Amino acid sequence: MNNASLELNIVALAPAASMVIFALLVMAVDVFARGTRTQPVRAATPWVALLGVLVTAGVCVWLLGQPVTTFQGMAILDRYSLGIAFVVLVAAGLSILVSARYIPRVNAQVGEYYALILLISAGMMMMGAATDLIVVFLALETFSLGLYILAGLRRSDAMSSEAAMKYFLLGAFASGFFVYGAALVYGATGATQFEQIAAMATNPATDLTFIYPGIALLIVGFGFKVSLVPFHMWTPDVYQGAPTPVTAFMSAATKAAAFAAFYRVFLVALPSQQAVWGPALATLAVLTMTLGNLAALRQSSLKRLLAYSSISHAGYILVGLAAGSIAGVEASLFYLLSYAFMNIGAFAVVTLLEKQGEMDADGARLRGLGQRKPLLAAVMAIFMFSLAGVPPFAGFFAKFFVFAAAVQGGMSWLAAIAMLNSAIGAYYYLRVTVVMYFNAPDAETVSEVKSNWPLNVGIGVALAFTILLGVFPSLWTTLMESGVVTALALR
Amino acid sequence: MPELPIPIPPLPTLHESVFMAIALLTVVGAFLVVAARNLFHNALGLALTFFGVAGVYFVAEAEFVGVAQVLVYVGAISTLITFAIMLTRGMMYGATSPLNRQAGTAAIIAATVFVVMAGLLGSLPWPVAEEPIVDGQIVIANLGVGFVTEFVVAFLLLAVLLLVALAGAIVLAQDRK
Repeated sequence: MNNASLELNIVALAPAASMVIFALLVMAVDVFARGTRTQPVRAATPWVALLGVLVTAGVCVWLLGQPVTTFQGMAILDRYSLGIAFVVLVAAGLSILVSARYIPRVNAQVGEYYALILLISAGMMMMGAATDLIVVFLALETFSLGLYILAGLRRSDAMSSEAAMKYFLLGAFASGFFVYGAALVYGATGATQFEQIAAMATNPATDLTFIYPGIALLIVGFGFKVSLVPFHMWTPDVYQGAPTPVTAFMSAATKAAAFAAFYRVFLVALPSQQAVWGPALATLAVLTMTLGNLAALRQSSLKRLLAYSSISHAGYILVGLAAGSIAGVEASLFYLLSYAFMNIGAFAVVTLLEKQGEMDADGARLRGLGQRKPLLAAVMAIFMFSLAGVPPFAGFFAKFFVFAAAVQGGMSWLAAIAMLNSAIGAYYYLRVTVVMYFNAPDAETVSEVKSNWPLNVGIGVALAFTILLGVFPSLWTTLMESGVVTALALR
Repeated sequence: MPELPIPIPPLPTLHESVFMAIALLTVVGAFLVVAARNLFHNALGLALTFFGVAGVYFVAEAEFVGVAQVLVYVGAISTLITFAIMLTRGMMYGATSPLNRQAGTAAIIAATVFVVMAGLLGSLPWPVAEEPIVDGQIVIANLGVGFVTEFVVAFLLLAVLLLVALAGAIVLAQDRK
């Protein structure tokens, strides 16, 4: 082994490393709080975690000005990996704010909760930075394992336990598919590093028989994580059973992380096979959008509604990958960011509609919210409009960019189907608004809405960016282009 | 001496017969896992299979993988499963039928998978090395060096993964509410 060829640029791992360090710090703070039994110190854990998110965001902004660096061909620091890191940080930060008063109700192990959020985020960032199938797999397992635990945080609750169990069993199964797929790709090309896979896949001397089942199995593995139809079965149950802040985090951040590696594997390692996976992904996108939207029409639970809505959004995002171009990648990145703001915002409002001891809210509880809590209803309406893709909000440009990328990529038919689906989706998002404003409140359904300032800050930030990104989508693109890190490692 | 109607196949070499014995052991263990009516016997069958797979690794001269297989699967996983069965009431002595209403469908699917896999594996030209590919001593040393050089990212990430598992175990075990 030639040590001179090692390129140990620790800077490529800096965002994830920073999150891990703060996770350890959270654990340490928690331990000392336990020893002295002082309540104020223990209450500090969410703020230490939030500080970690902010410091890491600062590190990422600084890294935008640094040149592209690679770490042994295993991980890379480029605009794309930083973009994913930003989305994960947004999701983690907002979820911590939503969790601050919610989690102590659910589980006493508050310190570990925040440590796990940070560790999961670190794993998710590695998904964006990984350039090797082994690292992708380890990162995938790191964040999945943490999410299984968070889904079952409320052990006394049967639905929460069921969610955790279901997610764990199906997730382990999906990981098996992923590993098998990775093994077959390795078997065909003899490499796990993306660049080497790409080189071998275009080499006429390579026998590519096994790369095709490998690609199929990789699609299954990633498809499960981003909940594509037909690998979506777990999504409604897990989203409903998990504590709501965890669902919020999971919906936005898991999508970002899994799509991050999904894109890089297919566009960097397997671009030569695009004729095979392009149509397959386009078909999956159509199925996912359509089934997700049709199933969402029939939901009464708000969390299940948002779960099916999240399935359909996975379909929209996949349109960007099926387009197979840089424009598609950048559009999807913007979509993931907008989705993090608007969807976590919507889930944050749901936490306010839950009754004491419950972890879900029925749609009927929205009745007359417009009269009871006009401000809250207006905020929820904005999140719903944004999710539906109505103009001045972030969701509109997210959809616009992705569909435009599909049209540019010669997939106008796919863009047309996606637009039809947005119309179906608009129905159930707008129905939420109608119920809030045009239905009289029942005496029975009036629930005690308890707001608290961290949650309000979280909702406020989500709302502000849902509007800001809708009015000035260039905010994000300018930030991403401001850096010296110009070379997106995707070609 | 009259000519035999069927040519006698050459006798298996010692190496081959050892492999066959181990393969038989593995398959018998696997059969026990699905066919035995007592859950405890299923677990013992699984341990037997794990031993058999370790034996296959040894025959293939992959000693390190073999030792890892014995340590992790036979040592840890089988023990864990056995403990889980012994500690769960009613699981130790109950006899349950391994078949349910879906047995027929499952049999068809399993047979199809077997035919496809056997056909696929049988039709492939497997490369056979003339001499041992690796020297056991060097492999283990290379693994160690690889962990701190080429695969250091994976190694670090593995540490984070274990930390997540540890924190998660605390969360699940110590819910005081």
